[in-house]
Amino acid sequence: MVIVKRKELSFWERLYLPEVFQGLSITLRAMFRKNVTRQYPEQKLEVNEVTRGQPRLAVNADDTIRCVSCGLCEAACPAYAITIDGQETDRFIEREPERFEIDMLRCILCGFCEEACPKDAILMSDELELADFSREALVYDLEKLKRPVSALQPRLDYIYKLSNRWNSSSSSS
Amino acid sequence: MMDDILPAELPLFAVWVIKAVVIFGSLISAAGITTLAERKVSAWIQYRIGPNRVGPFGLLQPLADGVKFIFKEELVPDGANRLMFRLAPMITAAPAMMCIAVIPFAGEVVIGNYNLGNLSITDLSVSVLYVGALTGLGIYGIILGGWSSNSKFSLMGAMRASAQMVSYELTLLLAILSVVLLAGSLDLRAIAESQASSAEGGIGVWNMFLQPVAFVLFIIAMFAETNRHPFDFAECEPELVGGFHTEYSSMKFALFFLGEYCAIIVMCCLVTTFFLGGYDVPFWDSAPWFIQLASFVAKAACFIFLFLWVRWTLPRFRYDQLMGLGWKVMLPLALVNVTVTGAVVSFGWSPLITPVLAVAALIPGVILFARSNPGEASLTGHALSEEGSAS
Amino acid sequence: MTTRQVVTIQIDGQDVEVDASKPLVDALHRSGTDVPTYCYHPGLSAVGSCRICQVEVQMGEAPGRVVVACRTPISEGMRVFTSTDKAHAVRRECLEFLLKNHPLDCPICDKAGECDLQDFSFAEGQAEGRSSEPRRSLDKRKSLGDVIVLDEERCILCSRCVRFMDEVPKTPQLTVSGLGARSTISTFADRPLTGNYQGNLADVCPVGALTLKKFRFQARVWNLRKTPSTCGECSRGCSITNEVLRNNELKRIRPRYNADVNEWWMCDTGRFALEEHSLEGRLAGSMIRGEAGMEPASAREGLERVADALRTHGQPVLLGSAWLTIEEGQALVALAKQLGTEARFVTPPPSELADELLHTDDACPNRRGLTEVGMRAIDAAEALEAIAGAEVALLIGERIIETVGAEALAELPNTVRLFSFDTVALDVPAARAALGTPSSIERDGHWVNVDGHRGMLTIARPAPTDVATLIQNFESLSRLITPAETAGGAAS
Repeated sequence: MVIVKRKELSFWERLYLPEVFQGLSITLRAMFRKNVTRQYPEQKLEVNEVTRGQPRLAVNADDTIRCVSCGLCEAACPAYAITIDGQETDRFIEREPERFEIDMLRCILCGFCEEACPKDAILMSDELELADFSREALVYDLEKLKRPVSALQPRLDYIYKLSNRWNSSSSSS
Repeated sequence: MMDDILPAELPLFAVWVIKAVVIFGSLISAAGITTLAERKVSAWIQYRIGPNRVGPFGLLQPLADGVKFIFKEELVPDGANRLMFRLAPMITAAPAMMCIAVIPFAGEVVIGNYNLGNLSITDLSVSVLYVGALTGLGIYGIILGGWSSNSKFSLMGAMRASAQMVSYELTLLLAILSVVLLAGSLDLRAIAESQASSAEGGIGVWNMFLQPVAFVLFIIAMFAETNRHPFDFAECEPELVGGFHTEYSSMKFALFFLGEYCAIIVMCCLVTTFFLGGYDVPFWDSAPWFIQLASFVAKAACFIFLFLWVRWTLPRFRYDQLMGLGWKVMLPLALVNVTVTGAVVSFGWSPLITPVLAVAALIPGVILFARSNPGEASLTGHALSEEGSAS
Repeated sequence: MTTRQVVTIQIDGQDVEVDASKPLVDALHRSGTDVPTYCYHPGLSAVGSCRICQVEVQMGEAPGRVVVACRTPISEGMRVFTSTDKAHAVRRECLEFLLKNHPLDCPICDKAGECDLQDFSFAEGQAEGRSSEPRRSLDKRKSLGDVIVLDEERCILCSRCVRFMDEVPKTPQLTVSGLGARSTISTFADRPLTGNYQGNLADVCPVGALTLKKFRFQARVWNLRKTPSTCGECSRGCSITNEVLRNNELKRIRPRYNADVNEWWMCDTGRFALEEHSLEGRLAGSMIRGEAGMEPASAREGLERVADALRTHGQPVLLGSAWLTIEEGQALVALAKQLGTEARFVTPPPSELADELLHTDDACPNRRGLTEVGMRAIDAAEALEAIAGAEVALLIGERIIETVGAEALAELPNTVRLFSFDTVALDVPAARAALGTPSSIERDGHWVNVDGHRGMLTIARPAPTDVATLIQNFESLSRLITPAETAGGAAS
């Protein structure tokens, strides 16, 4: 237990009124300061690759999805927002998602999925806005999640720069 | 042409109706504008912009707020006393609005050929008593609202509010009393005019300077009287959810809201009248009525701004601090001040000597205060928390 | 099987009594020491090909030697050290060689999550390889028949699968072909695998080289909820594990070790009996006869129809399914006694898949149990005969409609009031009401297998909300018909 001794107030402080005027002068000065408000819909937040926006699935230039539905993001997700069912594909990677759903209402944008992904397939995009008229519409399916990898490239470069966790040569084909 | 249609002189009744409608309407609009001003001032103090979406610079925001209130669901809690629950907001709002009837906004109003008389709904010879009675009535609405809600938070808020109002009304009226003593009248218009140099025997000095102690006491007490920060114990959110209006919603809540802002405006008008010479325009005794009105409005607006400014600056008092301040500091000061003023008036000394005497009379108190143990006489009552358990 | 000889050895400084008839690795596992194994499987002969189970063993005063635990017989006074630096170093080197050619496709591999190689690599192995040479490139999708797919790249050539085929079903079909780095597992002359035990290959494979075609890419194994249960496809009653994905679909059935019944194995008939528990076409509530045929209704309404019929017509025929548990059988017998009739169960025709190993010719998983509680076994023909002569007939239990034959039931005249409790709806002209019932992965109870062993059923996924268990239904029925019985008794 810590006993905090109250600071003894000086005479002027005890009179209270001088302190009141001091406070008032501070707020008066504050009134003429430049405001910090951002007029949101017109004035959007400048986001860069450091921003963890909503997770998106990278699609290669040849229109194939990177995800192999390994389920690591599903396992890593602390909010249980991700649901994946896989299916076989003829491509080299053998498996691709048949169903990939992220419940954006559950997603807490923590980025664990991105960190868990061995294929750089799920990446935190710079998309932040999320609004709809029903809960169902905010459960994003595969089509809503797909983004060309070019759009996510800055983030990809950033996470490689951030931590040299994988050899750059072993990134996905 | 106009002369043919309009009568040469308006009937007295018509003049009353016109003045009542205009003044009351202005009060309500002013209350609306004050809500906007409150949000704007709070925004500026917090480096924000404030409402700016409805209308130019957000000027129509009060209207939007009103519409919102109308469309909100009206709830009456289970177990509430329905009659009292409905009555309470009206009882709160009505006295505050009624006070505006005796405020002298300007001298004689002459428009074209018509002389509408002095700009106030009525000039009552005992208007100070009227005001005192009505401000005291406002508390009934709060108590009834708190009690009839059948909610512990509401009841506690109401109890606090009533104790607070009783404590501070004394100081408020004693402060007014010193002004009344100087003016020698209970008529607000007479009090206002007594501060103008044009008045008979007037010395042209505002009571603010003649009665600095009463002025300060009045301002502090009027914060408490209107349940405003830093004395808004009736609706202290962290402790009482919403205080006496916890259970209120929709238009009933709006009425409480309106009553609070009307009370603020009335209080500002009163302080202007009592201490700032009312509609007196300094160094221009024969100013036309609209200049007088502008002067009055400007003075009152400054006080409204003070209300808002203080609200967004000072933290709320603790309840025991509030009571200590009211009874142990403000009431004695007010009594001393009334005594000094009474002495000045009864001995027929120049009123100009009053501030000197009043401040001199405070000196022993200040010395006592300075030498005292901080725990005993602290205005802010800090020591209570440390020693309170022992006592 | 050799007899048990108890000797005392020292494992990591602890004196332990072990069975000397088993290899050392068995003693280590039984004493709770975690030594990895790939080629060793307790149900198969030990070959010591993977070398991953090496431990340091000291005999007497001699210095410690590193030996493979799966090929080392136990002798009295042996001192075994599993986690000395030497043992670790040797095992890590073995692992590095195994991983040299093992592809890094764990994200795709179905074995990930239950893979021995993955687990041990994670626990012990190096995170990075030291080899700069490319890995072997082999066939990643080599079909070995209808059941199994081989990924040659993932194979670590432990030969468990070869030995399984040789030793358990005793139908040698697999071999390690090729030499050195080109060795792969293949069938003789590339013929597809045959037999009813191929599914076990995917279980014995310590890596993801042999996978089931039916389970391939169906689910990640850590998402499967595993509940112990008993197989109902023949009277062997193999102990199994039901693996359910997201409380919904039964994705996989795997054998569960039971020394008395099936050891580590099960047949493919039982393993792939997934459709029996499919949610498609499932009767979730009940159906009752309305004006426009069978209409959906609540379980309560269905049950009231049954009770009405039982109250107004005498001598109902109660036919249980062969899949009833003992507990359900007892409840049915009690109900039959109350109704003054006999409880019988309908047996499916004998299975043609019977073999020497596990599968029996009797398709009733609980014949012994139901007989013990006092039910008589009849075949479908006898059952139909009984129904045809009755006013009211209750068909009770999962697969009863299938057993009696839906086509035969459809030919019954309208005068028979037919009620069913099955996982599917009975939609024949004679049917008056059809109630849903939990399937064997949705209820608990016991079956008694052909040798008298009790196998338990546990709930792997919840039954549909408006489906009551048979026992609950019998109790409700008993309550519903009791007042009428008493009234009738008083009148007579």
